[in-house]
Amino acid sequence: MSSTADSAPDFDSRNTVKSPALTELFSRPQFSIPQSEKERLLLGELTEMISMHRSACEPYRRITDVVGNPSQTYDSLTQLPYLPVALFKTHQLSSVPAEHVFKVMTSSGTTGQAVSRVILDRNTADLQSRALSTVIARVFGNHRSPMIIIDTPNVVKDRKMFSARGAGVLGMLPFGRRHFYALNDEMELDIPALREFVDRYSGQPILLFGFTFMVWKYFLQALTKSNVTVDLSQGILIHSGGWKKLADEAVGNSQFKTALREATGLLRVHNFYGMVEQVGSVFLEGDDGLLYPPNFADVIIRDPHTWAPAPNGTPGVVEVLSVLPRSYPGHVLLTEDLGVVHGVGDSAEGWAGKQLEILGRVPRSELRGCSDTHAFGTAPR
Amino acid sequence: MTAAQHPPVELGALDLGSGRPVRVQQLLPTRKSMDLGEVLARLSSAPVVAPFDSSRIEFVEEISRQLGRRGRGLPETQALAFWMRKSELSRLAQSFLELGSEQTFLMPRGTVFHIPPANVDTLFVYSWVLSTLVGNRNIVRLSSRVTDQSNLIIDTIAEVMADHPEVAGSSTMITYGHDDAITSTISASCDVRVIWGGDATVNQLRSIPIPAHASELVFADRFSMAAIDTATYSSLTSQKRDRLAALFFSDAYWFDQLGCSSARLLLWVGANNPRACATDFYDRVHEVARIKGYAVDTSAAIAKLAQAYGTMIDADVASYSAQDNTLAVLEMASFPDVRGEFCGAGLFYQLHVADLTEIVSDIRRADQTLATFGIPETDLKELVTNLRGRGIDRIVPFGQALQFSRFWDGYDLLSELTRKTTIAVKDVLG
Repeated sequence: MSSTADSAPDFDSRNTVKSPALTELFSRPQFSIPQSEKERLLLGELTEMISMHRSACEPYRRITDVVGNPSQTYDSLTQLPYLPVALFKTHQLSSVPAEHVFKVMTSSGTTGQAVSRVILDRNTADLQSRALSTVIARVFGNHRSPMIIIDTPNVVKDRKMFSARGAGVLGMLPFGRRHFYALNDEMELDIPALREFVDRYSGQPILLFGFTFMVWKYFLQALTKSNVTVDLSQGILIHSGGWKKLADEAVGNSQFKTALREATGLLRVHNFYGMVEQVGSVFLEGDDGLLYPPNFADVIIRDPHTWAPAPNGTPGVVEVLSVLPRSYPGHVLLTEDLGVVHGVGDSAEGWAGKQLEILGRVPRSELRGCSDTHAFGTAPR
Repeated sequence: MTAAQHPPVELGALDLGSGRPVRVQQLLPTRKSMDLGEVLARLSSAPVVAPFDSSRIEFVEEISRQLGRRGRGLPETQALAFWMRKSELSRLAQSFLELGSEQTFLMPRGTVFHIPPANVDTLFVYSWVLSTLVGNRNIVRLSSRVTDQSNLIIDTIAEVMADHPEVAGSSTMITYGHDDAITSTISASCDVRVIWGGDATVNQLRSIPIPAHASELVFADRFSMAAIDTATYSSLTSQKRDRLAALFFSDAYWFDQLGCSSARLLLWVGANNPRACATDFYDRVHEVARIKGYAVDTSAAIAKLAQAYGTMIDADVASYSAQDNTLAVLEMASFPDVRGEFCGAGLFYQLHVADLTEIVSDIRRADQTLATFGIPETDLKELVTNLRGRGIDRIVPFGQALQFSRFWDGYDLLSELTRKTTIAVKDVLG
């Protein structure tokens, strides 16, 4: 991936996938498979993964013994047993022998909170990078264009800063070239250098990547304040990281996009939604502002009172399904996010699959009880 | 660099050491920001009074009256008011007298420092009331996370205190942040420290010293259960089963099943169709929850699911059933060790046993309350005898699991909050 060739990363030569369904999901263009056909492909593959994980992961077998169908056969994706994502914080869930563990990924929990631990072997890690690459290519294209990283270069250099943010940036670098880091260590936008970069590559596509909040706060707001015009009409921005901080400032997706367009002429803006428990199967924002699952993933919204599938248009808890997790039983997960599916996209327009809107985190409740004195134990010491 | 190098607690210690005033928020007798030194000076200058002095009984009676009136629609506040009503106080005073004798005088211990839990709205009142009745000075550290119900109670006490300056002078309730230095200062001036809280909290607070002569009462994480005799249940009319379900509902759901005494494990005892009994009972409990409008928010519902699935990994779960979020049941194949972290909000472990003596070897120190229905008293006595104090501190009927008593977690609070002075007179030369 460190090659300087101007082509998108190509992993096909290292294809370790044996399943025909998985091969098909990878080889067909992303976001192109009509929903009913995709559900059929995913159901077959996920049912096989259930039996694979059952024989390889004792905790998963114990759970599915209780909540799965006794025959472990299923007629629809909604019937598949799901795991609450919090289980990855309380239990080690692995479907590979210890000597095959390639990497343990952890979520970026705030201090004092338990973190998710996700066990990867080489095969799953490889599937994840290949998947991410095909999904991002849908928006960034296969040509490695000049790329602006809306972050400080130290986010990938400084070991102490290395974090989920750093990992996110590192993961995106291979999709572009001539990387330009737009912020300095003080999170200040280097406007003259930005202009110079944009002018140098005028007339060709420019890729941009950054975290949603940083794009808003340190890029867009700095540009607006400076009164300097930077023409990004040829730009393509991918951003991620969630809306929580922006929601606090009452900024939603459409306001975000309008502001970017007005300030820079940037038209192609794509949010993405993903989680450490299902790396690779990221949902990407289509032209209509809604999130679409890639070929290897799907989403089901569940009614938080009955856990039954919620009809389109009804908000509920987001369940995500992915055929990528082979080394840990993360293929069907109930998240702690709220969302709503508005309908199904049109493959003719290049965005097939369910149309998801993420509404944010499930608000934390404060239950009563007598075991918590005053969280004395969580005071920093 | 780690966070441990910049602990706010040490900054607090510096403030105390340098003699600069440390501010705490006083809630009672009046709401205002105060210097900790001032709070402690005022408290230590107040006299203690004899146990069950009429001034203190009247004070508590008046709080009970006011809470009963103002706490309409708040069952926990009503229960609190009922617990300290006039007739109950007389009974309490009478039984207290029996702790003493002609030669054994009961005296207050001095200053009692109470650290109640953050999120049982009413619990902070119970140990404070008992300690007030026996004549102590009291300082209560409340969480800054004060609920509406707690505020109503605090305001009520404040008004009653205004008419009882003597009690007001010897009682204070304050709140402050996570500050070990403040806790240390208060601890250094107490005669008894009462700690309620999770095991981690208890351990941390215990590392803060109290004077050598002081004593400490600790109420840590507990686990509680309920037992129903299947033969008795089977013979009940539908109406009585509904009443039993309603009693169980208040035991289990009042504090979102997070009260230490709320049952998490339900034992079905005997061979009389235990599964059918259980299903029938849960349907009725579910119906009570529906009528009472008990609602589980999404975050709690997800936590319940995660706890249930985690239990499937950690213990022998035979089946899982949930009608909706208000009541979920994990049927266990063996007695589960599921003590500790708990989600609450209506998750029950269920076990069928032929006989209560079956559980003796599974009982642990953390086990507190056993609420029972239909189990003969002789069987319960046999159980307690066989346990030899290893676990289970109280056995109560359904509907009384949350009823606070002077006997709690194996302590007699009235006895622990007083000291006994003995007099022996004898003509040694005669």
